[in-house]
Amino acid sequence: MRIYLEPGRFQIMDKPAPTHKTIIPTKKEALPREERQKQLEFQNEAVVHLHSLYNYALHITMNPDDAEDLVQETYLKAYRFFNSFERGTNCKAWLFKILKNNYINRFRKNSKEPGKVDYDLIKDFYHSIKDTRRDSSEADTDYFHSLLHEEVYQALLSLPEEFREVIQLCDIEGFTYEEIANMVDSPIGTVRSRLYRGRKLLRIQLEEYAKKYGINTDED
Amino acid sequence: MNCKTARVLMSAAVDGEISFTEEKGFLSHISECKECLEEFDDAKKTKLIIKERIIRFKAPQALIDSIMQLTDFNTRETEETLLYE
Repeated sequence: MRIYLEPGRFQIMDKPAPTHKTIIPTKKEALPREERQKQLEFQNEAVVHLHSLYNYALHITMNPDDAEDLVQETYLKAYRFFNSFERGTNCKAWLFKILKNNYINRFRKNSKEPGKVDYDLIKDFYHSIKDTRRDSSEADTDYFHSLLHEEVYQALLSLPEEFREVIQLCDIEGFTYEEIANMVDSPIGTVRSRLYRGRKLLRIQLEEYAKKYGINTDED
Repeated sequence: MNCKTARVLMSAAVDGEISFTEEKGFLSHISECKECLEEFDDAKKTKLIIKERIIRFKAPQALIDSIMQLTDFNTRETEETLLYE
């Protein structure tokens, strides 16, 4: 005999006047069903993108603590407005947009030169994450490859923000132009031209590093 | 198609965000224009380098835990949350 427990309402089948309650204990029983449903959907659709979001936050803030705060804020907001998210559309894109807006409101509102690149910040940031990487299980046995990691990374970080951002969203996160355009609040043509110019700049930087270290980036 | 137009379409060609007719014109141009062909190859290589070489960072466990808690308002234990199932 199945007993269905409706949170908030006990529907006990078959027994008219129970002397004891046969209840299947659930941890969520205090929550209304819709709320529990929403939580499950949210975990399935939104929380799964946590690593991508954190990675993105880390790159735009250049600071792990700020990145964590930003991600938390983003998920709070996303959960609150989850009912307005259109199921079946790209949830990751939706989350990234929320995060970007939070970033602008929190970190960029007072900035006088939003696109300016702070090279010292980049250097410090890179050194802090470099050590994080070392703690991971990846073994840097191949010096050439680890060098290229670092140089590519620095080359990307040295790009002006609007170029770095579209390259990140396109090449690393795999968003479409339309999604990127929405996220950066610019027309698709602008996304296209930023990608074009950003990649060109990147290429120039990489070639400089390659010359410096005697590495041929055409190999591989 | 001239070089100017080809350059406008170049990143879209790299990313597959180009229409069929645009692509036709683009490919026809680069079959005749050495400079644009070289630029196109460079752009594709650059994209590949980024895709392969950039490290992505995972969220620290503390952050994972706190996000899971955000959406688990009524539970104290977290073993039954979906990500761990």
